Amino acid sequence: MKEIVVISGKGGTGKTSVTASFAYLSSANTVLADCDVDASDMHLLLKPELISSEDFFSSDLAVIDYDKCAGCGRCFEVCRFKAVSFELDKFKISDNNCEGCGYCANVCPSSAITLVKQNDGNLYISDTRLGKKLFHAELGPGAENSGKLVAKVKNNAKKYARENNLNIVLVDGSPGVGCPVISSLSGANFVVLVTEPTTSGIHDLSRVIQLVKKFHIKMGCVINKTDINYKASDGIKKMLVAENIPLLAELPYSDNFTHAMIKEVTVAEYDKGIRSMLQDAWDKINNLI
Amino acid sequence: MKIAFTSTGNSWDSKIDPRFGRAEFIFIYDDETKNNDIVDNSGVSEHAHGAGPMTAQIVTEKKVDIIITGNGPGGNAARVIESSGIKVFTGAGDMTVKEAYDAYKKGNLTQS
Repeated sequence: MKEIVVISGKGGTGKTSVTASFAYLSSANTVLADCDVDASDMHLLLKPELISSEDFFSSDLAVIDYDKCAGCGRCFEVCRFKAVSFELDKFKISDNNCEGCGYCANVCPSSAITLVKQNDGNLYISDTRLGKKLFHAELGPGAENSGKLVAKVKNNAKKYARENNLNIVLVDGSPGVGCPVISSLSGANFVVLVTEPTTSGIHDLSRVIQLVKKFHIKMGCVINKTDINYKASDGIKKMLVAENIPLLAELPYSDNFTHAMIKEVTVAEYDKGIRSMLQDAWDKINNLI
Repeated sequence: MKIAFTSTGNSWDSKIDPRFGRAEFIFIYDDETKNNDIVDNSGVSEHAHGAGPMTAQIVTEKKVDIIITGNGPGGNAARVIESSGIKVFTGAGDMTVKEAYDAYKKGNLTQS
C-alpha cells in the first residue's frame, strides 16, 4: 500500500483541484482521505453519500464544580486567555475563550476545576460518485484541525485500504508547515507539492520542501498558473533542479478550474487539455513510488 | 546497547510504524542483555499537538542509544533526540522489526 499526500505550503494554489483530479484519474484500487479539515472541500466535487459518522473528541474545556469552589479567584489570576470572569457572585469560565490549557485546574487549591473533553466535530466515511471511498471530517465552529485529527482520518483510510487490498491512499493535506501537515506527511510514501509562481507561493514551497526533506520522503511538484509569471515559474524550476525534485506538470492559468467547481466536477473531467497534463503527472507519480 | 524501533505491534514480526511521534509501540531491544522492553505509545496519539516531542521524551527516558524508524522524526522531536546523543536510522518503513534489525546490522539503513 502506498500513501500519496498532496500539500502546497501556501493555500489557494489549486491543491484540492489537483487532488480531486488525481482521485478521478486514479485506478479503482484507491482510497481518498481529505485531511485539510479546516477547510475541507474535496467532497464538494465528489458528491459523497454518507456511510458512517463518528463523533470526534479532542480539545479540553475547564469546568468549575461549584460545590467545591471556594471563590478564591486563583483561576481568574492565572488565565492568559481571559476566559475566567467574575459575574454576580461567582467565577465563570467562558466556553469560547477557554483554550483548555489546564493552568487553572492545576493551581486551584480546592481541586474544583476539571478538564472535560469536547466534541469538536465528526469523522465521516462516504461513498463518492467515482466509486471510491472518501474518509473526511468536519469541525464545529471554532474547533481547529490538529495532528490528532489528521492521524485519525488517515488511519481510518489506511485501515480500510489494508482490509480491502487497495493499494493507493490519496491524501489531500492541509496548507502550511504546522502540526496537521507534519501529521499528514507521517508515514507517507510520496508527496505532491502544488505551487504557483507568486512570491508567497515560492516562499511557502521552499519551507514545505525543507519539511518534507526532514522525513526523507520522495516528492514531485506541480506548478499551477505557470503563465501568470514566467520569470517566477523559471525561479521555481531552478529551485526544483537544485533540490533534485521532478517537475510533474506545468498547468496554465485557466477559468476552467472555477467553471469545473461550479459544475461540481473535477477540472480533469471538465478540461481535456488539463486532464492530459494531470494524467501525465499521475503516471509519473506512479512510476516514482 | 539499547535499540528502539517504532512499531505497530509488540513482537519481532510486527511491522515497523513509519511514523515517529504517533507510532503505536516503541519496541526496545537491549543487545547485551537480549531483553525486550515494549512501550505502548498509543496514549500519545490522544494528544492533539506535540506528539513528536512526547515520543522523543519517552525514548530519552528509556536511555536508548539508537532509534530505527520509517520516515524519521520531525523538527521538534529531532532537536530533543539530537541533544540526547541518540542516533536515528530511517528507511525501515516497509520492514518488520526483525528485518529492520537485520538491515541495521548489515548497514542498510540511512543515518539521519
